[in-house]
Amino acid sequence: MSGAPTQLRAAVVAALFVCAAAGGALAQTAPAQPAPTPAPATGVLPSGVTYELRPDPAQRAAAVALWYRAPSTGFGAPAAPGLSRLAAATVAGSAPITGTPLGQLVERWGGRLSVAAYPDSVAVTALVPPDHAAQAVRAMTADYFAPVVSAAGLQLAQRDAGEDAIYRSFGPEAIEDALGAALFADGPLHDGLIGTVTGLAGIKLDRVRAFAERAFRPSNAILVLTGNVDAGVLAGVASRAGAAKTDPESAVAQTPRAVPAPVRREGNLPGTGLGWIGPPISTEADATALDFVADALFAPRTGVVAKALGTRTVLVTGKFVTYRNPGIFLVTISGDDAAAARPLVDKALADAAKPMSQAAFEAARAAFVYRLLSEMETPADVADTYGWYTVEGAPGYAPAEGGTRGRYFTLAASLTPSAVAQAVTKYLSAPPAVVTLVKPAAKGTST
Amino acid sequence: MIRPLAAVLASIALTGPAAAAAPRTEVVDVGGARAYVSADDAAPLAGVGLVVRAGVDRQTTSQNGLAALVAESILHTPAGASPAVPPTAGAAAAGATAQTMPLSDAVDALGASIGYAVGTDSVRFYLEGTPEAIAATAPLVARALAAPSFDATTLAAARAALAERFGDEDSDPRLVGRAMLRASYYRGGAGLPPLGNAGALAALTPADAKAFYDRWYVRGSAAVAAVGRTGQATDAASRALAAALPAGTAPAATVAVHAPAAQPKRIVTHRDVAAPYVMLGFAAPALGDRDFPAALVMRSLLSSVLDRPTATTLPPAFRAVGTIYGYDTAPAQMIVWINGARIDAETGLTAVDAVVKAAAAKPVSATVLSRFKESARGEWTLESVSLDERARAIANAVTRGLDPDVADDVRAAIGRVTAADVQRVAKKYFQRFDVALVMPRSAGS
Repeated sequence: MSGAPTQLRAAVVAALFVCAAAGGALAQTAPAQPAPTPAPATGVLPSGVTYELRPDPAQRAAAVALWYRAPSTGFGAPAAPGLSRLAAATVAGSAPITGTPLGQLVERWGGRLSVAAYPDSVAVTALVPPDHAAQAVRAMTADYFAPVVSAAGLQLAQRDAGEDAIYRSFGPEAIEDALGAALFADGPLHDGLIGTVTGLAGIKLDRVRAFAERAFRPSNAILVLTGNVDAGVLAGVASRAGAAKTDPESAVAQTPRAVPAPVRREGNLPGTGLGWIGPPISTEADATALDFVADALFAPRTGVVAKALGTRTVLVTGKFVTYRNPGIFLVTISGDDAAAARPLVDKALADAAKPMSQAAFEAARAAFVYRLLSEMETPADVADTYGWYTVEGAPGYAPAEGGTRGRYFTLAASLTPSAVAQAVTKYLSAPPAVVTLVKPAAKGTST
Repeated sequence: MIRPLAAVLASIALTGPAAAAAPRTEVVDVGGARAYVSADDAAPLAGVGLVVRAGVDRQTTSQNGLAALVAESILHTPAGASPAVPPTAGAAAAGATAQTMPLSDAVDALGASIGYAVGTDSVRFYLEGTPEAIAATAPLVARALAAPSFDATTLAAARAALAERFGDEDSDPRLVGRAMLRASYYRGGAGLPPLGNAGALAALTPADAKAFYDRWYVRGSAAVAAVGRTGQATDAASRALAAALPAGTAPAATVAVHAPAAQPKRIVTHRDVAAPYVMLGFAAPALGDRDFPAALVMRSLLSSVLDRPTATTLPPAFRAVGTIYGYDTAPAQMIVWINGARIDAETGLTAVDAVVKAAAAKPVSATVLSRFKESARGEWTLESVSLDERARAIANAVTRGLDPDVADDVRAAIGRVTAADVQRVAKKYFQRFDVALVMPRSAGS
């Protein structure tokens, strides 16, 4: 063995048998009072935190999610793609006053901590064993409401975010990200959500700190609690000492282009993207219809396009994204047989403007409803839907709300073949925005 | 495994108040087979899993892939003319009619899903949907289970579906390495890859499939697990699926292994991967073994060795070291993988070796023990979150003859693991291993 492995072996052995100064943060907990009977609840805490509590005691896990309205590219110019995610991850990676960084704390509990960023929101979600739910609420609210943004935390976050950006650059998400510039003249979607390794590495600590302090205020927070968790954990929500209660952030402006601008870029995944401006979330019937269309046409294996493609080597994705205003409909085509797939996609979309037969429609709707429900099985999935629809301004329209008798699925049940065809005609019959991603001219990976 | 009182009190103080306990699983008879019901009234969906003792260990070495081919053929059995099955737009686009629509597509068209997983000693079918969709689809699934099609057309469709899955598995070096280490560890059919391979599948005939089905698809050895929004629909589905299998009991099978030798066996393959993966296969205790909780603590310890601090939880592909624990088979196998893109392979190997040797040499410190027991308990808890995972956990338990809620007992038992337990398990299981190397095609051997 060389010297380095020998030293490593000694270090590992020492770490195993010498008492480490780990786990100190666990001692900060104090028991909260659980409610005798968990019940759904929605409200606003005195600190201004909006909360959504949807307990399910049969679940083996609990999800604690903090959602914030905040532009992904930061407040003000210059736009910094990836900033919101970077800031949320930096806080999770920074050691707070009480001791252990949140990410490490959740990992020690055997839980999972994730950060997800969208054009105008950012979410931090912890999936933890139920007996750690109260600690998770305490730690997350304490860490984010009075954020510590350290250089070490930023370094961790930049490394994670850079790797994530590379990973995403090899998937259809990169094509979707590029579609934003074709669809919008400004705003976070125009500037892109993923960012680049170089761009993320260039974001300075001061900007991250300023973003975190503004975005992660209690009054801008939506706390979502799902799974095996009860109302007692709300007693552990931190407040921000000395902070005046302020209004939550406003929705960021985004200007759709009157005429979509074609975009051609270099990327690690060659492919084509098609995009359309769709209805705002408030136009619930149309939004539901386009969710249905996306599923009926683009569901893997059983969707119209998947069946038409057969054994061709191509990946086609399609989705409607229910943003506050406007929503967007995105299609990506990538793979060796992408050129052959485009006419099939165009035909499927054209056919969708004509009403389906009632029998085919019923089958597609049944499959659509099932797939949507199956995406809300875990506490983290359920927290995502509540967080998303609340931050986008339509909490009652969240598919998880009320189950199959809630507003979303009632609308799905009232869809008709002609209503769906009309929605397609209205939103998807115009020429789409088109992006083309091509491999970099020089050999290598685009960053 | 008695823990000092002080440690018990400390653990209570550290973990805070316990949330409401999850309901226990009920056991009901469904006409000759047992059904295990774990209700979750807040879930909009229900799942019904059927476990049949027809896994890869039922294959002979010349029947590689037969267990998967039979299961896949059941999903491709034409659903038949039924007023319940509307023609989907997707199926119409592919030229299918209600008569020719495969079972899986028919189930999809009725708002549910059907899938299967082939294990070492069993195959598990899983039907999921709203209670209404379960009620509509269970009779179709039962019909296909009772009279599956093994004609040439169905087998061809099944082979094509399996070929897609080979492609997916072949692109993940961890799954490639797992297959290599399984083949090295398990003897006979049990060591064959769960899905077979294209060459072997091409040689299997309709008669092979029919004979395998006739011999192993029997009710007496089967079990049903219903989870989620259970009730009349899942009760009826459980009965229908159990009744679809012919009466009879399959003889028990014993899985034999080649225990790793003092000198590690090295197996090398080349794939289209960016960096090498080094994978170590250890013998390990199975679910239900008294050493299992301590092995979960070892798993947690090994999973975290050398992983750098991160801001959030990394997906497995981004980690330097990870584990795959096949505890659903007795004897079990635990695989530790080292991602060569994240860490120098020799460094990783040295670190893992150091951990297992050190853990066997003397008891880990109280701090380390506490830290990794906590991680192990949480990781174990989060293994059974989705409905499918919950059904799988019950199936894993009952097919080993254990209480369906043994997962809860394991969670509690992890809390009672001592440093001596970890040391004993490290000595007993983790000192010998086989090595699989999954190398980039461009690399030498």
